[in-house]
Amino acid sequence: MAASISGYTFSSVCYHSANSNSDHEGFLLGEVRHEETVSISDTQISSSELLQVVEVHNHEPCAQLFSFYDYAGQVNEESLNRILKDRRKNVIGWYRFRRNTQQQMSFREQIIHKQLTQLLGVPDLVFLLFSFISTANNSTHALEYVLFRPNRSRYNQRVTLSIPNLGNTSQQEYKVSSVPNTSLNYAKVIKEHGAEFFDKDGVMKDIRTIFQVYGALQDKVQSVCGEVEQSERVKEKVQEEVNKLKQQIVLRKRKTTDEERRLQEAQNPELRLTPEENTEPPETALLSRVAFHTPSTPERPGPSANPPAYSDLLSLQNDSLLPFSSSPTSAALLPRPQAVGSPGHPSPSPLGLGLSAGPNPAPSPGQEDDDEEEDDEDSSEYENLVSEVGQLPPVSAIVLLQGRPAALSPDGDASVRGSQT
Amino acid sequence: MNSMSPEVALNRISPELRPLLCSVVRNGRVGLDSTNCLRVTDLKTGCTSLTPGPCCDRFKLHIPYAGETLKWDIIFNARDPELPPDFIFGEDAEFLPEPSELPHLVQWDAGDPECLLQLVKELIQQYHQYQCQRLRESSRLLFEYDSLLEDPNYSRSMEIYAGHKNSWTGEFSARFLLKLPVDFSNIPVYLLKDTTLDPGEDVALLSVSFEDAEATQVFPKLYLSPSIEHALGGSSALHIPAFPSGGCLIDYVPQVCQLLTNKVQYVIQGYHKRREYIAAFLSHFGMGVVEYDAEGFTKLTLLLMWKDFCFLVHVDLPLYFPRDQPTLTFQSVYHFTNSGQLYSQVQKSYPYSPRWDGNEMAKRAKAYFKSFIPQFQEGAFATGKL
Repeated sequence: MAASISGYTFSSVCYHSANSNSDHEGFLLGEVRHEETVSISDTQISSSELLQVVEVHNHEPCAQLFSFYDYAGQVNEESLNRILKDRRKNVIGWYRFRRNTQQQMSFREQIIHKQLTQLLGVPDLVFLLFSFISTANNSTHALEYVLFRPNRSRYNQRVTLSIPNLGNTSQQEYKVSSVPNTSLNYAKVIKEHGAEFFDKDGVMKDIRTIFQVYGALQDKVQSVCGEVEQSERVKEKVQEEVNKLKQQIVLRKRKTTDEERRLQEAQNPELRLTPEENTEPPETALLSRVAFHTPSTPERPGPSANPPAYSDLLSLQNDSLLPFSSSPTSAALLPRPQAVGSPGHPSPSPLGLGLSAGPNPAPSPGQEDDDEEEDDEDSSEYENLVSEVGQLPPVSAIVLLQGRPAALSPDGDASVRGSQT
Repeated sequence: MNSMSPEVALNRISPELRPLLCSVVRNGRVGLDSTNCLRVTDLKTGCTSLTPGPCCDRFKLHIPYAGETLKWDIIFNARDPELPPDFIFGEDAEFLPEPSELPHLVQWDAGDPECLLQLVKELIQQYHQYQCQRLRESSRLLFEYDSLLEDPNYSRSMEIYAGHKNSWTGEFSARFLLKLPVDFSNIPVYLLKDTTLDPGEDVALLSVSFEDAEATQVFPKLYLSPSIEHALGGSSALHIPAFPSGGCLIDYVPQVCQLLTNKVQYVIQGYHKRREYIAAFLSHFGMGVVEYDAEGFTKLTLLLMWKDFCFLVHVDLPLYFPRDQPTLTFQSVYHFTNSGQLYSQVQKSYPYSPRWDGNEMAKRAKAYFKSFIPQFQEGAFATGKL
C-alpha cells in the first residue's frame, strides 16, 4: 500500500494541529485506487502487482475533543454525520495529533478506529498519527507523522506517507498530483474563459485546427497522386510511339543499307563482306538488347534499350500492382515525404535492363536526347514520389561500358524508374 | 526525568490534575506487591511550548505486577481537565480492555481525586484477565491456573504474567505471584517495629517462574515484607523447598504456606516461652535481677553473690528458644582482663532441656550456678587483675 498526501493538505493539518493547545483530531478525505502493474520479463511471462494507493485530498478538523465519541469511546453516529455532512463518503481515514507521546496507537484510538471502520464502511481505514516532540529547553522541535492501517495484521501496520514535490526537486521532476480540483472559483473562471480555448465539445480548438490542416494535406496529396497517374499514362503512350518510331527508323535504315550492299555487290561481285559484328541488334525481344553492348556503335548507345512498356511491366509483376491504381484514396498509403530536390537520379531499371534515364554524359542522337531528357525529367519527378509500398524486384546495378555511371538510388534501394511506378 | 520523587511530579503537573496524581503517588498501592507506591516518570506537556508552567499533563506510570513492572502512558489534556485520560499500554500492544468493564472510565468524575487510582486498579484487573487468557497457549500452565482458581485461598490473590513467547526458542514462560494466606497478626510487635520505612501491610508473596511451558524449569522465590523478614530472622529464614519436578502448584503452595506458618508459630511461641522464662527467673532470683529486656525478653542480667563473691550472669535468649539453648555469660565484678574488660566466661553448654518449663529452667539454672561458681572464681582470681 502506498499513500500520499498533497502538500497543502499536509501543511493545513499541521497548522491546525500546532495551533491547538491540546490534542487535536480530524478526518482525512480522499480516495483509494487500485493500480495493477503487469510486467513481462525474460524470466517469467507476466507478473502482476496490485498496489493500493491512498490519496489524501483534504481534511476535516474537529473543533474539540470527544466531539463524536463519549468517555467510553463509543462513537455517536449522529455527531459523526454532523461533522462530516455530505463528505462522509470521501472519508478514507482519520488523524490525531498529540504532543510528547509515543508513536503508537492508544487505547481509545484503537477502540474508535474499530467503530469508524464499521460505521463508515471503509475496510482499510487509515490512521495518521502526528506527534510533536520538543527538547527540554525548547530549542528543537520535531513533528513526526506515521500512517497506520490498523485493520491489517500486527506486523504490517505502518505505511509510508509521501508528499509529492516535497524533497529534492533538483533530481525529481515536478509531479502533478491527481487531486481533483474542487474549488468553485476555479470552475467558474474556467467556464467563463474556456470558450476561447475549447469548442462546444470540450476539445481544444488548436487540436481541431491541426486536424484540419492534416486533412487538407491529405487531400492535396491524393489529388497529386491522381495527376501523377495521369501523366504516367500519357508518358507511356508517348513512349510507345517513340518505340514504334524507332523501330520504323531501324527498319528503314536496314532497308537502305541492304539496298546499298546489293548495289555494291552488284558492282563488286568478288568482294564479300565478312559478316560484321552485328551492329544492328537482331530483332530479338526487347529484353535481350542488354547483351549487345558494343563500343562500335557510337551512334546508338547500346544500352539505351528502351525500358519495357508500362503495360508489359504490369503484366510481369502482377503481384506488385501499384497502390495508385488500386485505392487512391486510402490515407494509409500516403508516401513518405522526401526532401524536395533529392540528390541523384536512379539509374538501374528494375529488371536489369539497361537504362537511359541516368545522367547522360555520352552523346546521343538528338532525338533520343529529347526523349531521354524527357525521361530524365519524368524520372526525377518520379523520384520524389518514390514509394516503398510496391514490391521492388532486386535491381542489379549495371555498369555501362560507356562509362555512364549506373548507381543505385540515393536511398539505397533501387528506386523505381518512373515507368515502374 | 527518571526516579522522580513524588513531590517533584506533583509540582510540575497542571494544577487541575494535581489531586488525581496526588492520590496515585502518595497512596497508590495497586496489586499484591504494595510495598512500593506507584512511580511516575517522564512528565510531559500537551500544551504548546509557550504555555507557562506548570502544565504537564501526560506521564509514565510504573506499576508492579507479578514481579514485572508495567510502564503505561497516561495522557490527559491540561486544557480540558474534566476529560478522562487515554492510555498506551507499553509493549502490550494487544491488550485492549473492554470499556464497559471499566466503570471509573465510563463515569469518569474529575472531581473525585481517587478516580484515576480506581481506574488504574480496574485496568490492572483487566490486564490480569488478559494474561490469564494468554495462558491458554500452554495447557499445562492453564491447568495450574485453573487448579489455583478453584482454591478459595488463592483465587483472589493471584497475579499472573504470561510472558511473550521467546521467538528464538519458541518457549513460553509465565510467572505466578501468589499472596500466601499466612496470619502474621500475632507476631509480637517489638519484632516488627524495627524498620525505617513505612512497613505497610505484612505480606508474604510466593513467586513461581515457569521458564517453559512444560514446567520442567520452575524457580520459586519467597518475598516477605521487610518487617516480617526481620521478625523471622533475616534472609536465612527464606529457605523454601525446591519445586518438585512433575509437581504442581496446588500441592506446592500449601506446602510453602505451612512452612511459613510453622515458622511464624515458632517465633510466636518462642516469644511466649522467653517471657515465661524471664518471669520464672524473676520470681526465683527476685532482687538479683539487674535488668531484663521487657519487650522482647531476649536478655536478662543477674547480680548474684556466693560466699561473698559477687558476679554477674548475663543470659542471652536466642530467637528460636527454647529449641536453642540460652547463652550464659558469667562476669566478675572485681577482675579485669588485659584488655580492660571485665573478666568473663561464656557458657553455652550446660544441663538443659527444651522440654522444661520456665520454673524448671530457673531451678536448674540456679543449681548450675552453684556448681559452676567455684570454678569461675578460681579462674577470675587466677587470670584477672583487680
